Amino acid sequence: MKSWNGVSAVLAVLYLSFVLTPAPAAAGPAQDQILKHYQDLAGADVTFSADRGKEFFMAKHTGGKPKSPSCTSCHTKSPLKSGRTHANKKIAPMALSKTKDRYSELKKVKKWFRRNCRSVLGRECSPQEKGDFLVYMMGQ
Amino acid sequence: MHTTMGSKDNGTLRSDAEAPTRRANMQTKLSHSPEQQTGQAAGTTAFVVSAYANANANTSLEKSKSASTAGAMLIWDLPLRLFHWLLVGAVTVAAITGFLAPEWWLDVHSWAGYTIGFLVIFRVLWGLWGTFYARFRSFIFPVDETLAHLRALAQKKPGHYKGHNPAGALMVFTLLGTLIALTVSGLIILGGQENIGVLAGYVSFATGSGAVEFHEILAFGLLGLIGAHLVGVLIESLLSRENLVRAMIDGRKSVSPVHAQSCVGHADTSAVNQRELPPAKRVWARAISTVLMVLLAGSGAAWALLKTPPNGYVAMPANKTYASECGDCHQAYHPSLLPGSSWKKLMAGLEDHFGEDASLDDESAKEVYAFLRRYASDKWDSEAANNLRQVATKNPITITATPYWQRRHKDIGKSVFAQKRSAPKAIVLPATKMR
Ligand code: HEC
Ligand code: HEC
Repeated sequence: MKSWNGVSAVLAVLYLSFVLTPAPAAAGPAQDQILKHYQDLAGADVTFSADRGKEFFMAKHTGGKPKSPSCTSCHTKSPLKSGRTHANKKIAPMALSKTKDRYSELKKVKKWFRRNCRSVLGRECSPQEKGDFLVYMMGQ
Repeated sequence: MHTTMGSKDNGTLRSDAEAPTRRANMQTKLSHSPEQQTGQAAGTTAFVVSAYANANANTSLEKSKSASTAGAMLIWDLPLRLFHWLLVGAVTVAAITGFLAPEWWLDVHSWAGYTIGFLVIFRVLWGLWGTFYARFRSFIFPVDETLAHLRALAQKKPGHYKGHNPAGALMVFTLLGTLIALTVSGLIILGGQENIGVLAGYVSFATGSGAVEFHEILAFGLLGLIGAHLVGVLIESLLSRENLVRAMIDGRKSVSPVHAQSCVGHADTSAVNQRELPPAKRVWARAISTVLMVLLAGSGAAWALLKTPPNGYVAMPANKTYASECGDCHQAYHPSLLPGSSWKKLMAGLEDHFGEDASLDDESAKEVYAFLRRYASDKWDSEAANNLRQVATKNPITITATPYWQRRHKDIGKSVFAQKRSAPKAIVLPATKMR
């Protein structure tokens, strides 16, 4: 009896660890295309950095609209959590692991970078800022 | 038995025979040709009982008197009584939801209205082919008789009638007429303003709004009539020493010795009474087929009427570009919530859209703008479009700034909107499909 309990405990732990471990962020071909688009814009000598992306995402910026000093104003401090717009609509989490269809359509990504960067920083973001952000979110 | 039908002469004869108000002369006539009359009277076999064996007995007042003293007599058939009390219930619900309840009780109010409509139609048919005292024919009185009755009433000595007396008859017709007008005007409002119900496809918003006042006046009128009806029943009960409320419950009215003398048109023998109220089974068969008929005709008519799409509604296919471009930060508001001129201004200022950048690429912007203009409130005759068409002069692109929206929300505390999780402010209609 005892040994059976032990075996099932081990199995349970194995099973749970399998279920609970976050799957490694799977950036598919669509996301790769978009990254490549920004890599081309930034130039071959620039390497995108998830750490810089995180810093940019968390930072308080100036120059934008007063209601939105940071990306986190709407997306919250955790990429894994859903956010809210100023009109109170839910925004799905930014992390690719949570929202599978993120960063899959260049037109959409461009549109939101344009809008959100203007709202937060009062200017367009640079290709490097965009690339850093994408690498950070795709790794989450 | 029912051989001679449809001749003019019989028609006159019949109405004489049928009205319980006609006096002795009627009774002699009755004894002359009972067969023709009965065949006509009921219009069908169902209600005619071979009751005429002792019809000549009617000529003797003595006999009728002894018969009337026999006690209570069934006057109001059960379907009629059910109609009466169901109507009381439906009118009560309609009155409470109409006068007191807030607008979101409209559904209940409408269903009470449909019920009233159904009941009244039933009553009209029952007035044509129900049992004797339920028939209109038995209580349509000439003007002079009505006046005489009222005069006698003023002297507290009204003549006695087994069925409706002239004053009561007047009340019945007025009530029925008022209820019909109320039901019809209610349907017009429902169809015009709310774009629901059987008239939704036929009545414009303006017409529906126009009917509101009429409906309200009628409703107050009905209240007055109900009051008068109750007072009348009370007075009549006191004067005739007969509980008329109870009579509408068990259907029986006693023909007491006190007023048997003055009893108008009493020609009571059990046989005649049998003619007036045939066996319950037949009454039920007739009543149930009448109900089925009304329901069938009603649903048939409703089905035919509802085939027409709501008046002033526009077939609007969902637009993907609009739904995604204008539905990310808030729900994509229905284009009919603002006029075209407002959408024009809104689309011209997307870079600074309520403190946010909502800019679009030219191609999407063009498509969105075309969609908004095409289905703007100017193009609709819906309730929302009509009410929101007038925008705030200083803030023409905000639905929640329109005078109508402000008026409807003025009682809702600011704190409700300030709540973090509260829903977006403006209402959204589903995309409409033409049937
Ligand atoms: C005013 C609120 C707000 C702010 C501030 C904001 N965002 Fe967003 N962002 C949104 C909304 C709304 C969406 C679209 C919703 C969705 O895709 O679920 C979005 C979408 C995006 C997307 C596109 C995602 C995709 O699936 O393609 C990117 C990229 C993005 N935001 C980046 C940023 C960055 C970077 C910042 C800070 C500079 C930022 N956002 C700040 C509201 C905001
Ligand atoms: C970047 C986010 C964003 C996008 C994209 C956006 N809006 Fe808005 N919109 C807002 C915000 C924030 C408000 C303020 C409403 C509030 O406080 O709830 C607003 C308000 C409105 C209002 C007024 C609502 C009211 O309360 O009366 C209308 C109408 C409107 N938007 C239409 C549009 C249309 C049409 C589009 C597409 C062209 C659009 N919006 C795209 C953020 C956005």
